Amino acid sequence: MKAEAKNEKGNGGNTPFTWVGKRVRRIDGPEKVTGELKYMTDYQYEDMVWGKVLRAKYPHARIKEIHVEKAKSLPGVIAVLTHKDIPGFNGFGIVVPDQPVLCSDVVRCTGDAVALVAAETSEIAEQALGLVDVEYELLEVVSDPEKAMGKTSPQLHPDGNIHSHVKIKNGNVEDAFQEADLIIENTFYSPRQMHAFIETEGGWGKMDEEGFITIKCPGQYAYRDRMQIARALAYNPERIRVISSPIGGAFGGKDEITVQIYLALLAMHTNGRPVKIHYSREESVVAGMKRHPFKVQMKTAVKKDGTLLANRVRAVGDTGAYASLGGAVIALAIEHSCGPYKIPNVDLEGFCVYTNNGIAGAFRGFGVNQVCMAIETHMDMIAEKLGIDPVEIRKKNVYHQGEVSSMGHVVKSSVGTHKTLEVAENCDLWKNREKYKAEASEPWKKRGVSLATSFHGIGMGIGLPDYGAASIELLPEGKFKVAVGCEEIGGGNSTVYAQVAAEMLKCDISNIVVVQGDTSQTLDGGTVTASRSTYTGGRAVATAAPNMVSLLTETAAEMTGVVMEKIEWLPNRIVAAGETISYKRLFDYLYEHRRKTKVEGHFMLPKEKEEIKGSGGAPHHLYGYLTHVVMVEVDTLTGETDVLRVVSIPDAGKVINPQGLEGQTEGGAVMGIGYTLFEDVLIEGGYHKTRNFTDYIIPTIRETPIIETFPVEEAEESGPFGAKGIGEVVMIPIIAAIMSAIYDATGARIKHLPATPERIYNAIKQLKEQEAQPAR
Amino acid sequence: MLVSEIDVISPLDLDECLTILSREGIQHRLLAGGTDAVVRMKDGKWRPNVWINVKGLNELRYIVKKDGAIHIGPLTTHSDIIRSQLLQTQADVLVEAAREVGATQMQNMGTIGGNIGTASPAGDTIPALFVLGAVLEIRSCNNKRLVPIEEFFIGPGKTVLRQNEMITNIIIQPQEKNEIGIFQKLGPRKAQSISIVNVAVNLIMGENNRQCLGGKIAFGAVAPTIIRAKKCESMLKIAPITDDMIENISKVAWKEVMPITDVRASASYRRDMASALLHRGLYRLMRRWESYES
Ligand SMILES: Cc1cc2nc3c(=O)[nH]c(=O)nc-3n(C[C@H](O)[C@H](O)[C@H](O)COP(=O)(O)OP(=O)(O)OC[C@H]3O[C@@H](n4cnc5c(N)ncnc54)[C@H](O)[C@@H]3O)c2cc1C
Repeated sequence: MKAEAKNEKGNGGNTPFTWVGKRVRRIDGPEKVTGELKYMTDYQYEDMVWGKVLRAKYPHARIKEIHVEKAKSLPGVIAVLTHKDIPGFNGFGIVVPDQPVLCSDVVRCTGDAVALVAAETSEIAEQALGLVDVEYELLEVVSDPEKAMGKTSPQLHPDGNIHSHVKIKNGNVEDAFQEADLIIENTFYSPRQMHAFIETEGGWGKMDEEGFITIKCPGQYAYRDRMQIARALAYNPERIRVISSPIGGAFGGKDEITVQIYLALLAMHTNGRPVKIHYSREESVVAGMKRHPFKVQMKTAVKKDGTLLANRVRAVGDTGAYASLGGAVIALAIEHSCGPYKIPNVDLEGFCVYTNNGIAGAFRGFGVNQVCMAIETHMDMIAEKLGIDPVEIRKKNVYHQGEVSSMGHVVKSSVGTHKTLEVAENCDLWKNREKYKAEASEPWKKRGVSLATSFHGIGMGIGLPDYGAASIELLPEGKFKVAVGCEEIGGGNSTVYAQVAAEMLKCDISNIVVVQGDTSQTLDGGTVTASRSTYTGGRAVATAAPNMVSLLTETAAEMTGVVMEKIEWLPNRIVAAGETISYKRLFDYLYEHRRKTKVEGHFMLPKEKEEIKGSGGAPHHLYGYLTHVVMVEVDTLTGETDVLRVVSIPDAGKVINPQGLEGQTEGGAVMGIGYTLFEDVLIEGGYHKTRNFTDYIIPTIRETPIIETFPVEEAEESGPFGAKGIGEVVMIPIIAAIMSAIYDATGARIKHLPATPERIYNAIKQLKEQEAQPAR
Repeated sequence: MLVSEIDVISPLDLDECLTILSREGIQHRLLAGGTDAVVRMKDGKWRPNVWINVKGLNELRYIVKKDGAIHIGPLTTHSDIIRSQLLQTQADVLVEAAREVGATQMQNMGTIGGNIGTASPAGDTIPALFVLGAVLEIRSCNNKRLVPIEEFFIGPGKTVLRQNEMITNIIIQPQEKNEIGIFQKLGPRKAQSISIVNVAVNLIMGENNRQCLGGKIAFGAVAPTIIRAKKCESMLKIAPITDDMIENISKVAWKEVMPITDVRASASYRRDMASALLHRGLYRLMRRWESYES
């Protein structure tokens, strides 16, 4: 593939593609929009059994005794399981498996699972949960991360409450603060966002007579889910099949184990009957992963001309009761805490802290959202104080390809920030912002226009294996089956894989069948997370395709006796000295001769050689970049904020499918609007105050603005056709841009998200009171 | 009571419905659109022995003018209200309120009788019914009584309705040519949201510029039931409702309300928002009035 991509460049870089870069309709579109495709949790089986999970009654308590007899004797109950029924290791967790499958001694949050029930109906299962009698001894609740770090706090885990501590230091910030012309210092608070995927956690487990276990459960990495199931069950992973695609939504919330282990455990006790678990929204709110709420303290120093001198950051993330990916989230936050800028002196540290506040884990943006809002707000505050244009100050400080970032490493991969800023500066909304701002409809409505820029690492960073794998198989009817581990969870990567395969194999896209997220059909190709699945999976497909081309060319030569060089690989067919040979004929020939019809492609993600000391995995080799411009209208009577227009300018490398990209930029913008203005799961003293979607407010179509997408295509050598990843950064800079636009409109700076009407109203009120006071 | 143990009876007409209601010894509850009922059943709050499903009782779904009053059947949906020519011209404030209930799906299923029956302090159509002087016709098997809407509610979820009674008619006074109304709502977002504060206003305008001869103002979500803002109302007649006067009137609103703090908003914000919504509402109402006149 790489060779071919280079060829294209050699040909002047404008080789017309048939599929890549085209607005190809989603291959999974029709069955999804018509509802023909079912959610896994909507399947029904005649002999099915219902599973339910008993949650901890308290956020922090010691378990003295668990009595299950009453529950077991309820008619219709098939099984009641506790920690005693776990054959293997009682724990899970992507990095540190510190979360019990079923708690045995202590519960650390109200999302903790204590027992499992299987019953004939969901109602009986629910009743049985009520009959499991757990004796608790209450323990002091740890609810404030800062206090949790203190010595006097109860310790939630053997190694204390600080799960991880990362630190990056370059230059000398103290000296820089001395020589600076301006210093800005602020504290920012961010919310506990919920993924709010359309399908709550759920799925099916079944064990057949031979002891083969099948788990059907939407997820983000079937192979790792299988490993975690096998570990808990002490079971040969080869005897477990996990199907984790193709629908449901995840956004990081199904990266960790959700219900797979519960399903497997129950399936071992239901006499071969399929068992289903499906969380209600209320249970998902309590037990599901959330985004880490952060407190970010930032102090930024700058010269009169706008050159950034120093940045000091202290970030504390609340990971709740268990680690999951918390350590990695904090590390990524710190890696991105200085924005896509070159700041010579930095002193950055982050803490990932245990509390009894539910559980936090992976979520689109992975820590970058929380720090971007701080650095970008600072950029605007500095620009305003120094009288510099917000675009200029950013352009002045961004790093370019080949330059040293604030992390102190040379960025070798493509960097599009500067270009995205140029596009931003020339877009209609920015150029004519004064005109648009003057068009507010009522006297108390104020408009503001702002922009912000950010970036996001692609792939896992240093220290974690990161590879892609794909297989392509010629099927009897002459179609190509492209199998990639990365799940299709709604993002559209299946269409990307089909486009890449069709392009490379020169066939029609209808001749490609894509299979994903199934341990029995796909190779292990890593997660669908970290903005990596187009880049990694696409590249793996592109690596496999030439192998298929060689296989079929050789086969055609052998069939016809024509020399290899005379075999022509043409659109939708192969021609050997004038004779057309269909794919189907090639299959038949291979089949008759008992030859393999399947090829593979493997790809290792490029990595930096040296890890930045103490950084927990930084830097990444590759980043996606994006600038957002937004216009808001604030009702100053009530504090309600309407985002009216959004311009999204991604540097995604080569865009494989503009329509798919827009799906991401539009969805990401709306998710960013929700994060900034509405969303927060409220927890007090370890108990959830937010129960469901009645009070967890996500944007609807009426909160959805006009969103324009202007991609900047800084081709990335290592990616398929020059593509990079974009799945996360699409929701990041918009957060800071909205915050600044609210300031532009009203003069009120919100540093505590979400910027609810009440918070904005109070900030405006305070401002008015200050202004009313006579100057001293 | 388990959900699977609850019976559903669907009476074929009002008489049968009233007969079922009069049965003693069983707990029953009416089920209209179910948009409140099903949610509360799921939450374990409403688990009667029997649901009396009245959704099919078309004889209680009507909007008609009779003897100078407008009669609205309790099974009239919010969408029916929104589409009604009669209400658009003679009860604009109710149409606006119905438009703010949830979103299209809720408006198609939810009924005005259900909105009143739930007796939520945040129910959106209720303030509008207050300012339109609504009277509820309440019937049981052998009795019929009329209750002004302002006397119907006792507290959140509590009404004067007895076990064997139901609302069978909602009677409002049509707006005259010189009457004009508006409904304003503040929720955590624009659709599918429970009111943090809402307000309905109905004004009788005089001959002169912005002259107001009187009017009614009712607030929701700022007290245990919907409340009238009588101090503000009395100010309406003092002087023409200029932009300055609007500010003066709305400033007084906080004195009328007694909100609480909950997950949606603090009491102090709600108090300020009573003023803000009245301000916004009166301003918009005057603009609209002037555009009609010219
Ligand atoms: C997503 C969602 C959003 C919502 N948004 C709003 C909103 O913005 N504003 C708002 O005000 N409400 C809202 N609601 C609540 C609800 O939709 C309304 O209150 C609706 O009008 C209820 O009507 P229904 O026919 O569905 O009532 P049901 O649920 O069928 O009944 C509600 C109650 O009224 C009683 N009842 C019904 N008919 C009668 C009768 N004729 N006589 C006496 N009692 C009767 C029932 O017994 C029951 O106690 C929302 C609900 C949901 C689920």
